[in-house]
Amino acid sequence: MGKNKVTDELLSTVRSIVDSGYSDMDIIRALHMTNNDVTAAINIIFDTPSFKLKERPPAFRKNPQILSSEVGNLKQNGVQKSNCTLGTEGNGSSCPSNSGDDVVEEVAVARCESSAGSQWWFVGSGEVSGLSTCKGRRLRPGDEVDFTFPTKSSSTSPSPGKVFGRGRQAAACSEIVRFSTKDSGEIGRIPKEWARCLLPLVRDKKVRIEGHCKSAPDVLSIMDTILLSISVYINSSMFLKQNKTSLKAANNSTDETVVHPLPTLFRLLGLSPFKKAEFTPSDLYTRKRPLDPKDSFGLCAPELRANKPKIPGQNGDEVENEESISDADLENIVGIGDSSELEEMDPPGTLQCELRPYQKQALHWMIQLEKGHCMDEGAMTLHPCWEAYHLADKYAGPFAYRRDRVIYLNAFSGDATTEFPSTLQMARGGILADAMGLGKTIMTISLLLTHSGHGLSVSYPTSQSSSEDIEVPDISDHSSDLPKKVPKFSGFDKLLKQKNTVEDGGCLIICPMTLLGQWKAEIETHAKPGSLSVYVHYGQSRPKDAKILAQSDVVITTYGVLASEYSAENPKENGGLYSVSWFRVVLDEAHTIKSSKSQISIAAAALVAGRRWCLTGTPIQNNLEDVYSLLRFLRVEPWGNWAWWNKLIQKPFEEGDERGLKLVQSILKPIMLRRTKFSTDREGRPILVLPPADIQVIYCELTEAEKDFYEALFKRSKVKFDQFVEQGRVLHNYASILELLLRLRQCCDHPFLVMSRGDTQDFSDLDKLARRFLKGKQNSVEGEAKDLPSRAYVQEVVEEIRKGEQGECPICLEAFEDAVLTPCAHRLCRECLLASWRNSSSGLCPVCRKTISKQDLITAPTESRFQVDVEKNWVESSKVVILLRELESLRSSGTKSIVFSQWTAFLDLLQIPLSRSNIPFLRLDGTLNQQQREKVLKQFSEDSDIQVLLMSLKAGGVGINLTAASNAFVLDPWWNPAVEEQAVMRIHRIGQTKRVMIKRFIVKGTVEERMEAVQARKQRLISGALTDQEVRTARIEELKMLFT
Amino acid sequence: MANSNLPRRIIKETQRLLSEPAPGISASPSEENMRYFNVMILGPTQSPYEGGVFKLELFLPEEYPMAAPKVRFLTKIYHPNIDKLGRICLDILKDKWSPALQIRTVLLSIQALLSAPNPDDPLSENIAKHWKSNEAEAVETAKEWTRLYASGV
Repeated sequence: MGKNKVTDELLSTVRSIVDSGYSDMDIIRALHMTNNDVTAAINIIFDTPSFKLKERPPAFRKNPQILSSEVGNLKQNGVQKSNCTLGTEGNGSSCPSNSGDDVVEEVAVARCESSAGSQWWFVGSGEVSGLSTCKGRRLRPGDEVDFTFPTKSSSTSPSPGKVFGRGRQAAACSEIVRFSTKDSGEIGRIPKEWARCLLPLVRDKKVRIEGHCKSAPDVLSIMDTILLSISVYINSSMFLKQNKTSLKAANNSTDETVVHPLPTLFRLLGLSPFKKAEFTPSDLYTRKRPLDPKDSFGLCAPELRANKPKIPGQNGDEVENEESISDADLENIVGIGDSSELEEMDPPGTLQCELRPYQKQALHWMIQLEKGHCMDEGAMTLHPCWEAYHLADKYAGPFAYRRDRVIYLNAFSGDATTEFPSTLQMARGGILADAMGLGKTIMTISLLLTHSGHGLSVSYPTSQSSSEDIEVPDISDHSSDLPKKVPKFSGFDKLLKQKNTVEDGGCLIICPMTLLGQWKAEIETHAKPGSLSVYVHYGQSRPKDAKILAQSDVVITTYGVLASEYSAENPKENGGLYSVSWFRVVLDEAHTIKSSKSQISIAAAALVAGRRWCLTGTPIQNNLEDVYSLLRFLRVEPWGNWAWWNKLIQKPFEEGDERGLKLVQSILKPIMLRRTKFSTDREGRPILVLPPADIQVIYCELTEAEKDFYEALFKRSKVKFDQFVEQGRVLHNYASILELLLRLRQCCDHPFLVMSRGDTQDFSDLDKLARRFLKGKQNSVEGEAKDLPSRAYVQEVVEEIRKGEQGECPICLEAFEDAVLTPCAHRLCRECLLASWRNSSSGLCPVCRKTISKQDLITAPTESRFQVDVEKNWVESSKVVILLRELESLRSSGTKSIVFSQWTAFLDLLQIPLSRSNIPFLRLDGTLNQQQREKVLKQFSEDSDIQVLLMSLKAGGVGINLTAASNAFVLDPWWNPAVEEQAVMRIHRIGQTKRVMIKRFIVKGTVEERMEAVQARKQRLISGALTDQEVRTARIEELKMLFT
Repeated sequence: MANSNLPRRIIKETQRLLSEPAPGISASPSEENMRYFNVMILGPTQSPYEGGVFKLELFLPEEYPMAAPKVRFLTKIYHPNIDKLGRICLDILKDKWSPALQIRTVLLSIQALLSAPNPDDPLSENIAKHWKSNEAEAVETAKEWTRLYASGV
């Protein structure tokens, strides 16, 4: 701390001299660069144009005319490359332009003023062993040499920075850099490693080189070694804002080996950073990250599943650990640290509830992470991805003070800058990944209360944080896999873009729509009235004005609103959420942004905020890639850069290289806190004591009739599937196969579901239907038009359907069953129509004899989603019978139950027996809007008469607190057990006082039972234990499994 | 036995034929075989067959309604599209059959055929020739036959 005091003094000394336009940050940076030498620091501030980037674009303060003329020169000559022949410094003479306009070896010469300093900075000199390509020519030590670089157009893309690539051979000839003298012409060539890194740099005019002969044989013969001394100059203009073009390889190939030319050049020149990056790409390859043997994540993924064969439902045993499987996987992937040693921190008095010890630990942890390094220290600490180099060029200050120029290179992205990249640019925040039910919401609320960012905070330099450590990543171009435009420390454009964000805001909480009300309610319940102002930013009438958003301490909004306010094309059109520089952004259920290419994910990452948090119980849901999106949002560099992530983590992981996994663990370890219900505290006691949960699988038997139906359906499906297998087109028909499976799975719930119509969605809009008919008419030529029904007839038919008039099929004379409409606007049962055709794909319309083909048919919409009158013909399926029995036995206990199904149609059906049995119930599914949801949840919690909540698995998946219920029935298995688990865990969480009972229904001898086995396999896929090819095979295997 | 697996469609058609018969047409299923119908068609007015009552038999094959019913005149009739065995030349009973047609529509078509004989697509060559060469005489013969064979029950 003593060190910081000194800094404070120094800071005020410098401040007393430089004008107030320079921020503390500028001064601290300057002091850092000069090792706390006050005079030097002041010089730097005055002399370095880029020092005060904030207020105005940097311009060279001295001799602006000279500069502009130079730029002009450069532009005139600005062709492909420069060829500089200045042997000695300060010569100032320009070399004559080479007039030979050879296509391949086109040469352009840039006028160079090396000693002027402001244009070209001398980086350093190095010795190069060139190879002679001539015979008999003479070269004396001291002779100047010209370098000739091949042009871009000369061949297929040269591959700078590509060391091991497919195009290596082909590209090699275009990478040859030759040198010549004025007297003798071409003498030789320089080694490939030099050529490769120089080529892109020289071509983009970022670097120029000069050289002269150091020693050479008196008479040259081919392949003789010629020692050259070359001096490298770097173009200072590339550090200007407008020339932000990075120094990375121009060829942003998807090649895995990304080698950036500038760092390579520095290495060849023998420059070594005076400050090394804490970690570099090569470290990541070679260094085995130290792993604490105490850590529990030693297991690598591939072993994980293999050692845990799961024999699904061999008997009716309880599958006790079912719910923990995905958790276990998760822990193996992300690692679960021992967090029992974390310090606790008491929440402020404004929090109106007791925190449990582990929650106080989380608060302390979050506060620490938000602080990052101490501000002063942080500002002076080099960001771990960057390294600092001294250039050989000396900067001549006004007081004849000469100092080293410093350039910072990003070891990962190849970016270079003269601005000091401090750790303040690093992520502040992290992932609170406590398992469901541990109270992530309340922990977050206590964090909000501790530091809301709106005046409440005492120890927080908020103003600084909001102006200094915000980056606006350019991720609009994320779709490319390239390192080119992925978010980076765009020290340049951040300042430009920041002009759009005017208001300093408080905390922004983004959550799924279902949780909007809950967040508001929880804040209102737990925060002392008046301590936090909460505003819900949702709905059509939400204000666009950023000021309103910025006024509230807490703004709650949904992912949907966020995505709708984000405009990838035009940042200016972004909505209010993007006009605020948030003190803190919290993503609740952060796995929502898991797919990194989704609009939501991109929108979230583009928010401007000083602190970023992800709350999620499942940081990985399907794929390791899910983590990438979180890291990008959090600005954990360099992992927000897809190329790096993919190369060092994703690929190795997928290929079974455990280093990928270990790396991800080491990245996550400091920024992720994850405890589960099984975590223990210092004394080894569980951190959370919840009432026990019984998890059972109820194996149902189909009745005779159901079985017949199922078998028939299964046979039909299998025939189709086998056809696909025969044709080798299983994966091409994935969707059709899933459809087949869907029918089978629904059949396990209730055969009526199979008779329900899943395929009407697209045409449920009757007007669209009418339009389709009429459009067909317009498009057809005269002759054909006669065959089409009249507009009036179509309208009549559509009207008839709209009114729900029953009508009858002209073939079976019954009410329509799964009616289809022909293009000639005749309505028939699908089955009847198809049966009337001789071949399966086309035939005549039975009514008007017009030839029609199967794909012309439109499924006619109907009021009811069932083809049969379910009320009248109601039959209970075996699952329903068991469910009713269970519910009946719970009736007297007074406990509440939640019934989950994936199909809302099944929930429709369940309403019938529940009503008949006088079991009062409510229903929650995706069709309800926010208010309706809240009403249902409130009523379910408060109304003691209501015993059952029918809920669709998806609607219940997130955040909702359903502890009023203590029983859960999961009626059908879902592919991803994590989804099931998440839904069920809504009841088994903090606040639950009763013993919890969870029953999963599986029908024996059906696809459901086999799905259990596939679930286990899927876990292996999730764990990444399989390669791409294996995944493909596995998928087919998986499907075959289902059809046995 | 046969009646027990009678398709719903046939039952429905039968019920409707009985409850709302088409004018000039009656069709009733046989007691023994519900697929076999006794049919009577009144000769249409302003046709040579006016005043006649024509008996037909109609049988619904197993594939019905995907295959056409088999219909035959039992009453002798002088008509270019009906042969001496009572077989009828009518496209909807052959290749133009559609499952959207019913017993009722078939019988109505036959009734219409009586109104409009079509000698260009004959089944009975002789009668057709007669019709073409001397229509008045042919019509007379038809009337004669109607009186002879189709009057009375």
